[in-house]
Amino acid sequence: MATRKVRYKKLSVKTLLSVLREDQIDPTEYESLTNEAQIATGVEQAEENEYHLQAVLQSAGVAADKEIPVPPPQESTLNYDELYSRRFSKTSTYIRFSQTVEECIGCMYDMTEDDEAFLKSYNQKRAASAQLSEDDFEKIMDVFEDTSYIKAPFASIDQTIVPYQDMLQGLQDLDNAKVMPHAKDIYEYWKSRRQALNNQPLHPTLKFEKHQDSDEADPYVCFRRREVRQTRKTRARDVQSAEKLKRLRKELEEGRQLVLAAHQRELLKAEMLKADRAIFELRAQLKEHKIRLGIKTDDEDLINQKVSSPLFIFCHTQFDTDTSQPQKRKAPEAPAVQRPPPPTQLRIAARSDGRPTEADLSLLADRLAEKENELRADIEKKVQSHNEWNRNHLDLTRGPLSPVHEPRQDVSFRPAKTQYLMTPPTSASGASLEEPTPMELDKPQNPQPVFKFRGVARDEESRENPPAYRRRIGRLNRLWIDRRGMASPPREVSAEVLDRWKYDQSSDDEDDPPLYEVDPFDTNALRFRASIPLPLWMTNRAAVPNARAPLPPPQQPPQPQQPQQPVSQPQPQPQLPPPAQAAAAAAAG
Amino acid sequence: MGPNGEAEVGSDGPRQKGRATPDTITIGCIAQVTKDGQPRRAEILSIKETKSGRQFYCNFDNFNKRLDEWVPVSRIDFDQDVEWPNPDKDKQKDAKSKKSTTVSKKSQPSKKAQKKVGKREQSVASEGQTPHPWTEFVESQNKVDGEDKANASLEVGGTPGLGPDEMELDEDETPASAAKKEHTQSFSREQEIEKLRTSGSMTQNPAEISRIRNISKVEFGRYVLFPWYFSPYPEVFSQEDCIYICEFCLSYYGDLKSFTRHRMKCTLQHPPGNEIYRDDFVSFYEIDGRRQRTWCRNLCLLSKMFLDHKTLYYDVDPFLFYVMTTRDDRGSHLIGYFSKEKESADGYNVACILTLPQYQRKGYGRLLIQFSYELSKIEGKLSSPEKPLSDLGLLSYRQYWSELILDLLLGYSEREEKCTIETIATRLAMTTQDVEHTLQALKMQVYHKGEHKIVIPEKLMHQREKSRAKQKRVIDPDRIQWKPPVFTAASRTWGW
Ligand SMILES: [Zn+2]
Repeated sequence: MATRKVRYKKLSVKTLLSVLREDQIDPTEYESLTNEAQIATGVEQAEENEYHLQAVLQSAGVAADKEIPVPPPQESTLNYDELYSRRFSKTSTYIRFSQTVEECIGCMYDMTEDDEAFLKSYNQKRAASAQLSEDDFEKIMDVFEDTSYIKAPFASIDQTIVPYQDMLQGLQDLDNAKVMPHAKDIYEYWKSRRQALNNQPLHPTLKFEKHQDSDEADPYVCFRRREVRQTRKTRARDVQSAEKLKRLRKELEEGRQLVLAAHQRELLKAEMLKADRAIFELRAQLKEHKIRLGIKTDDEDLINQKVSSPLFIFCHTQFDTDTSQPQKRKAPEAPAVQRPPPPTQLRIAARSDGRPTEADLSLLADRLAEKENELRADIEKKVQSHNEWNRNHLDLTRGPLSPVHEPRQDVSFRPAKTQYLMTPPTSASGASLEEPTPMELDKPQNPQPVFKFRGVARDEESRENPPAYRRRIGRLNRLWIDRRGMASPPREVSAEVLDRWKYDQSSDDEDDPPLYEVDPFDTNALRFRASIPLPLWMTNRAAVPNARAPLPPPQQPPQPQQPQQPVSQPQPQPQLPPPAQAAAAAAAG
Repeated sequence: MGPNGEAEVGSDGPRQKGRATPDTITIGCIAQVTKDGQPRRAEILSIKETKSGRQFYCNFDNFNKRLDEWVPVSRIDFDQDVEWPNPDKDKQKDAKSKKSTTVSKKSQPSKKAQKKVGKREQSVASEGQTPHPWTEFVESQNKVDGEDKANASLEVGGTPGLGPDEMELDEDETPASAAKKEHTQSFSREQEIEKLRTSGSMTQNPAEISRIRNISKVEFGRYVLFPWYFSPYPEVFSQEDCIYICEFCLSYYGDLKSFTRHRMKCTLQHPPGNEIYRDDFVSFYEIDGRRQRTWCRNLCLLSKMFLDHKTLYYDVDPFLFYVMTTRDDRGSHLIGYFSKEKESADGYNVACILTLPQYQRKGYGRLLIQFSYELSKIEGKLSSPEKPLSDLGLLSYRQYWSELILDLLLGYSEREEKCTIETIATRLAMTTQDVEHTLQALKMQVYHKGEHKIVIPEKLMHQREKSRAKQKRVIDPDRIQWKPPVFTAASRTWGW
């Protein structure tokens, strides 16, 4: 790219390129125009010139016939089947696995050839039953190495050899009977091995950073921590983690409170059941006394709901645990209603059962009504506050959330009493000519429907809603005059058509008088005109000419602003030039 | 190829020339050395004594480091002048090449003085004790096998020709040149570390890379691998003839008994993560570097042996590893992988990518590349691999890009539609830059009759026919079960 000749057009990644085969293009030209620039390979600069790499790159083909020579691998002579004897069972699904290497290895110490020689001679002196197995040997050695790593991490520097006493704790975890008889002897062997190796770990280990100066230059030191990267993020991460922990704690506490509250509730219920039982028993006694004493009064006061009440409560208790809110809310209510001594009527069990239900129902109905009233009041209030909030604002979106036509919402709109206003039409039209175009361009360019219907509709509409104006201060202290209920041209008129009309008007004013003789809002006239098949250029113009007649029709109020504003809904008009503002202000009264 | 980016060894200005003998030639000298039967300029990076004689570790002019090897005296042409290390101009260079040697001294303060020299030389000496199957000196190197290990430290101490490289250099230095060296060295390193830290990069400036292979042979599953580059396995491993790596958990052992014991206990049979793709041929696993730190570190150590520009400077936490395996009745065997930053500021979809040598040239690299782009498509991103690419990486990517772009363009050409570079990029989840570079590399972008056009050369179409016939496998995007993982600050800290 870099060496392209200057006269070439720049090639961007978005440039459309023809894709041709070699035979579709003149070979000489193709050859001469091929880019000969050196191409970045992405290989280390020093290696780009490598003999074998260049040999392959020169061929520049898809299939490299030449290859880069590498030391070839060989088949192993070790017994693979013996070393890798474990069978691998295939799974039908993709394997998911998260154990680490350490978890898969078991005992981390692997005995060496030296260890093997030692163990053989060690076991030779012992009876078969007292011999130490390789597995146990490794376990003991692992404890020694592990303990040493923990207790003397700098053993290789300070030459500390962890004493046998300190190893005992680790050995406790092993199979005591098998291991302990050998532990001391193996410790002595371990110690000798460590000393021979300069007190380094018996297994060769990688060199990690020791934060010494020599670390940097040592090619064997590897896998350093990326300190800077981590500390940079630590604070933010700590905060995040602390937040998580806090939230977790809060949630747990909430759960705990919930359990406590449920426990409390159940205790109260049990108490209530006890109380009910006491009442029942007292009543039973009373009844007995009554019978014994031959008192034959109404038994209403004995009946109560003692049959139903505990049951009722019981039912609700059950509901409480597993059903939704409506029942829950009822539960405490019902017993409360039943508690007060009801009217006494012993005989009719059905009645006594029904009565509290009735009372309950009626109360519920009351409550519902009350609720509804509350809701209504609330809605009313909200509507009002919304209106308040919306004052001086008009929602002109296609589907306004709040209806704009409600009379009380539009207190600021006043009907225009045209007859008292002496608006000079000339200045008004002068102002109107100033600003038309930008608004017109925004208009949707719908296909034009037949104009007669529109004319009629507008006629009726204008009668229902007399024109009204509102003056308000908008953003940046701009004065706005909102209009509504105006008979204005249809929205659908395209800017193009309007433009055309503008010129027609100026030139054809006198030449084309018939247009102005017609009252544009005369339904009959419109209907008549609609029924006449017009030439295309006329239809295109549609109702526009009428609506834009420079002389306002009788029932139309003076329009201080440009008459071509196709608004049937109030629409704000920015009043930027001072003279226009004054005129508008005057119009608004 | 020195560390300064020059194209040839020792091209940093004129050097003193003169005859040398096997005894006087030193580290840093450039001589004519036979490679593949041809004389070639080579820089001597190290010298060791073996039973069969002195051996020289050579880096050849314009040959990749993976072709560096130990050569005997007979392959060096002493009838021609050698270029001596330039004492002034080579200061910086020497400082760097000496780094690995001087460092090993500093970093082992606990070791006894006499061990230091022996240790360093041994780490060098071990390389080449095991023959590379393709060198012409299998036999000579075989002879020293076994005994050499025991002899190495003894011989090193007693051989006069060995001392100079390190000792003399230290004495030579005037305070001024030492200061200068120190300055340039620390400055570039600081810059580089800053770059590493801020970019989250996994690649590294060659200045930081130890230039001499430290592991000579690796037992890995059914294969024996011969490493190409330095990898920071435990330092003692450089004394081993062979190291053993468990092909499932990738744990490393210098001792066969330990390895055998490990194999008896290790239960892992596939990469320790979630399988996100499976077809009849391969599977892909997604491994989180943070969750599977040990495994991912092991993977990086393994891959470093075959990736020159990979750095293990920083830990694996900010990366995800997408590991491709092949199944049999023993498990899911590692074929290759690519790593990807959890959040790449530069829009990279691959940090490092590797097909293990035993699976190379079988089309697996292409599957890895395709998979990386399929993930980018799911993420709705236009992506590119992190640079620099290795030579093999460049070729694999170029081939992948070429074939996909060509297939797309053939469609446009047949329908006689026009296309933009942007539409190609979007369809393939490639960056527009990569698309442009590919078009240019294939000489497809032309300017013809006042218009930019794309021309598909006949040759490419024939080649594509051929390669399409050869190509067996592709990734089926419908089989990918994967959603782009989201890492919040908390999930990085707590694993929530
Ligand atoms: Zn393993």
